[in-house]
Amino acid sequence: MTKKKNAKPEKLSIEQLIGVLPAYVEKLKQARELFLANVVMFGEIPGPTFRETRRSQFMLDRFHESDLHDVFMDESGNASAILPGTRRSNVIMVSAHADTVFEEDSHPAMLVGQDSITGPAIADNSLGLATVASLPMLLDRLGIRLADDLLLVGTTRSLGRGNLDGMKNFLSTRRVPIRMGICVEGADLGRLSYSGLGMVRGEIQLKIPPDYDWNRFGASGAIGHLARVVNSIMEIPIPREPKTRIAFGSLRCGTSYDTIPRRGALRFEIRSEDDAMLTELEGKLKDMIDEFSLRHGAEFKMEIIARGNNCCIPFSHPLVKTTRQIMDALKVDPIVTPSSGDLSALIDAGYPGVTLGISRVENSREENETISIEPIFRGLAQLVGLLCAIDSGHCDES
Amino acid sequence: MKVEDWLEKNTFHHSEFWDLRQLVEEKERKGLKISLCIPTLNEEKTIGKEIIIFRSELMERYPLVDEFAVIDSGSTDQTREIAAAFGADVYLSADILPETGSKRGKGENLWKAIHQLEGDVICYVDADISNIHPRFVYGLVAPLIWQDETHYVKAFYDRPLNYSSGIRPSGGGRVTEILVRPLFSLFFPELTGIIQPLSGEYAVRREVLEKIPFPIGYGVETSHLLDVYEKWGLSAFAQTDIDQRVHRNQTTNALGKMSFGILQSFLSRLEKFGRLPAIPDMETLYRQFEVEDRDYQQITHSIVEEERPPMIEIPAYRKKFGRESS
Repeated sequence: MTKKKNAKPEKLSIEQLIGVLPAYVEKLKQARELFLANVVMFGEIPGPTFRETRRSQFMLDRFHESDLHDVFMDESGNASAILPGTRRSNVIMVSAHADTVFEEDSHPAMLVGQDSITGPAIADNSLGLATVASLPMLLDRLGIRLADDLLLVGTTRSLGRGNLDGMKNFLSTRRVPIRMGICVEGADLGRLSYSGLGMVRGEIQLKIPPDYDWNRFGASGAIGHLARVVNSIMEIPIPREPKTRIAFGSLRCGTSYDTIPRRGALRFEIRSEDDAMLTELEGKLKDMIDEFSLRHGAEFKMEIIARGNNCCIPFSHPLVKTTRQIMDALKVDPIVTPSSGDLSALIDAGYPGVTLGISRVENSREENETISIEPIFRGLAQLVGLLCAIDSGHCDES
Repeated sequence: MKVEDWLEKNTFHHSEFWDLRQLVEEKERKGLKISLCIPTLNEEKTIGKEIIIFRSELMERYPLVDEFAVIDSGSTDQTREIAAAFGADVYLSADILPETGSKRGKGENLWKAIHQLEGDVICYVDADISNIHPRFVYGLVAPLIWQDETHYVKAFYDRPLNYSSGIRPSGGGRVTEILVRPLFSLFFPELTGIIQPLSGEYAVRREVLEKIPFPIGYGVETSHLLDVYEKWGLSAFAQTDIDQRVHRNQTTNALGKMSFGILQSFLSRLEKFGRLPAIPDMETLYRQFEVEDRDYQQITHSIVEEERPPMIEIPAYRKKFGRESS
């Protein structure tokens, strides 16, 4: 890829920057096929949590092809590289998680239509990952050369049992002084996260022992017991403030029509704006499970697989304010939502950051997850605009 | 050349050609121009992805392909619109060499591509591949770039088939294993070294393409192999393992029709090459049965393996490319 050797960083005022954003959208459309090819090619590489290596390897290939510096895969499988800036005194990080909720044998094949692309994990997070991998090419096409180093990262182990370990390990081992970070998600254009929501993610496992007394009062198979657990959890009073929620994400039990299952598992997530509330609810669940074990003679076990603290930067932070200005200029309506993803680890480590989405999405996390092509270019322009704003110092706290 | 020697020297894996920068440099050093042709008929589900990936990876990122065209048989779905929307040059087969008339069949599109495209090498890739990847092209053109003595490169691969219930692996292609391979073993044993003789992906030098006739239907791949073998011998061929190709499954009935067309092309060549004495005129009606509640119905299909002559015999082609009549 040719580089514009004479491209120099421009210090634009925020008004000037906002003024050029519509032109960025049009220029980015000229790189449509190059960008979409990356989206599709990432989409067709399976990447379940803990088995993201092939995606990371493809990311490294793209980094090499863009002649980036320090192209590197760390012990956690995170793929990273640096696009050197002209001044090189600061580092801006842009990251996307590489893992998906789909299994390795799902054999993803993307369907490209005139206006959309459909396939498992195309939004979450093939689109985000392709955005990070394509950034050097897109900046080159726009003639933008940043003063700061741009640190690009595809993180592993973000979802489910991954517990954000990829990002946490990257930040703890790489020890780069990061000025600010942007986490990129495919969904949804307008997403603006500047806080990490406290959460406890766990699994309640049930096993009916071989000597189970099927004649005792209340005896039941695994489905009946887990249904009782669900009902009991739903009876736990949940406060309106601080905002709190218990969600059930998966119930696995049984294999046939007429055989009573003896094992099962219920996955849940507690989210709350208050860390003390998380601790209280986790304790209630634990007590409930202990009681179930004693009362019903079945083996209940609760395993906590991930947890995260509440953390945020203020709504009034210049990074948030500038992001909103950029979205407004691109006619993107902000959807403020807390993150339970990599942003939590970033802010928790003390770095200001936001999460942005790139396009509109339908059928999220289904096999037929679909992204719209047309909004992508505003999504990319918003990201480039924010990068330029950070680089020019418009997002620093005075 | 013994088949074993040929297999050793001329069978590749696409990963041997991973260094696309080096491949592009060699192509430019030799002054070769590469054209890519996708023949289509109602391929709206897969054509967009093929174009995006080939254009971005093999034209913009690595300029291996100089020219890229979709040649369509008259799709009634959105194939041409989607292809054009992603920047492909799209041609209706009937609009190319209109003075030669228009016939319906994949071979017709492949034949007309020789006139429409200008490359020294033309690479043909089917449009129904759902796991398309640049290797489907660079894996095939690379042996032609690196080896001057190679003229015709075929793809072979694992062939998982798309079923409604998902994907499951298959052995070789059914028509290959129960028709073509037995025929090759009987009459052209050297050609049995070609692992997937019916694969729809191949790259060929122009000077070969313009000198061979083109059946327009099912027999095009088989007759190519026989004609190239007869004129240039086994050493003209190479083959590349492309790993995996996911495509639509075909019904047994459809494969029956395909076999009927292939047999027509094969037998006519046996006669032409003097391997069999004159064979009687062949029927062109293929007969199958449908059974419902003990009601046996014979279904007949007219399958005529028409052939286009070698392109070098077409005056407009000779004029466009400055060729002498052969």
